[in-house]
Amino acid sequence: MIKVEHVTKRYEGMTAVDDLDFEVLPGVVTGFLGPNGSGKSTTMRIILGLDHPTKGQATVKGKRYQELRDPLHEVGALLDAKAIHPGRTARNHLRALAASNRIPYKRVDEVLEFAGISSVAHKRVGNFSLGMSQRLGIAAALLGDPEVLLFDEPVNGLDPEGIRWIREFFRSLANEGRTVFVSSHLMSEMAVSADQIIVIGRGKFITQGSIDSLTATAKGTVFVRGANHQQLLSALRAKNATVSELNDEALSVSDLSAEEVGQIAFDAGVALFELTPQRASLEDVFMDLTADSVEYGSSGVRHEQ
Amino acid sequence: MNSDTTLGSVVRSEWLKFRSVRSSIWCVVVTFVLTIGLGVLVTTVVRVQWHKMSTINKLTFDPVQTSLVGIVFAQFAVGVIGSLFITSEYSTGAIRSTLAAVPNRIQLIAGKLIVLVSCMLVIGEVASFGAFFIGQAIYSGVVPTASLSDGAVLRTVIFAGLYLTLLAALSFTLGLLIRHSLAAISIFVSILLILPLILAFLPQSWQNDTVRFLPGEGLGHAMTSVQPGPNLFSPWMSFGILTLYVVVLVAISTSSFLRRDA
Repeated sequence: MIKVEHVTKRYEGMTAVDDLDFEVLPGVVTGFLGPNGSGKSTTMRIILGLDHPTKGQATVKGKRYQELRDPLHEVGALLDAKAIHPGRTARNHLRALAASNRIPYKRVDEVLEFAGISSVAHKRVGNFSLGMSQRLGIAAALLGDPEVLLFDEPVNGLDPEGIRWIREFFRSLANEGRTVFVSSHLMSEMAVSADQIIVIGRGKFITQGSIDSLTATAKGTVFVRGANHQQLLSALRAKNATVSELNDEALSVSDLSAEEVGQIAFDAGVALFELTPQRASLEDVFMDLTADSVEYGSSGVRHEQ
Repeated sequence: MNSDTTLGSVVRSEWLKFRSVRSSIWCVVVTFVLTIGLGVLVTTVVRVQWHKMSTINKLTFDPVQTSLVGIVFAQFAVGVIGSLFITSEYSTGAIRSTLAAVPNRIQLIAGKLIVLVSCMLVIGEVASFGAFFIGQAIYSGVVPTASLSDGAVLRTVIFAGLYLTLLAALSFTLGLLIRHSLAAISIFVSILLILPLILAFLPQSWQNDTVRFLPGEGLGHAMTSVQPGPNLFSPWMSFGILTLYVVVLVAISTSSFLRRDA
């Protein structure tokens, strides 16, 4: 279990992480979602004791990372797959990590086999593709057979087969009762691989919950088309609804249910041709939640659906 | 599994890291080539030229120092070894997986220093004794030779290896402070080469009082001389001061390492 308790991290005037407070529970895959630059990696580095929080603390199984007696036996992490000495072979890289935590070398060959990179174990890491490096990083995370696993953007650079492999792998780790914490900036990826999601933006906590509960709480819209466009519009606006005109005859209404919109139209004496509740997609939810907190947003460029 | 990370396991890990990259192996080879190779070159030239040398030169001739001349060049190679041992962790980003495995930062630095100092002690002494023996063998029969049975000679050869070891450790601490290979090595080289040049602009009396404190021209020169010049500290004193520099720099760089983010 991972506990992040009111963690704040400031770098020379810039707040990277702002009072984050959440728990990551065992037995499920927890997604850590936020736009690029929202503080996900910083939070993970603080959990691993690499960066010192300005305020608050992070603990793993009730202890600060620095207090863990056998860190690799407790926590496995993949932060940046390319952050390895390029001149060392994959096997020697893992052996050096294993030696520091007194893990037998036999285990190195096991995790190499598991990650599917036994055949390149004697090759220098500098020649590895990003996908191979990701697999090596996963092998390293598994070395000590830890109960808690952290992965920072693990699907980057993986081919479709690798992505499927890693999703099933996360699932099986969680099914074994382990704590699996996976960051991503891609909502669609989280939707298929995570059970629980923690959303942050600009270092701030935004929301937390299951995929279903997140979509449920998200504001859906109602698509409506009626006989008298202008009359319908003013009737809805009179009820303080947020209405946007999609074209000359269609409206999109937020804040109201389809039933309410129908009733308003009826009271105003406007015949309806079409009345459709529209459920927000996960992408919409994410865009909606993080709209104010995108560090490098593209303004003026419209995304065509 | 109730094993916990100990200094011993950190040392094993760091030793594996040290010998599993080509750059360390190359630097070690360069250290040997410079120390022994240049020693062979210089002693051979001396042997060939000996009959042309003046009586004064012959009387003040030091067979030990001339055979150890390669140390002056090897000191840069060992500086690179010491610096890269820590800066390569930063340039590659590997410091993060290293610290995730060994979160006790004092233990990590202790382990790295044990590996570095032990390796450099062996490399430095082998290079130094090798250069000495080969140099004396080249001199024998033509040029007066020195023998290790002379205590001052034995001390000088041992100190030459120790000097290289201490320099590697000093360079390591600069790397730990600066975290950037090129910058750290540049500063190391500047201390050895540029600092004496700056001091050369000072009045002679100031130079006489300050040069002896310089790691290379002062302390290193005294440590590798049988009979150091009048403005230098004694070899033992120089060894002590250089060790003190290293200890202070280890303390400063480690405390900075403890405070900073990885």
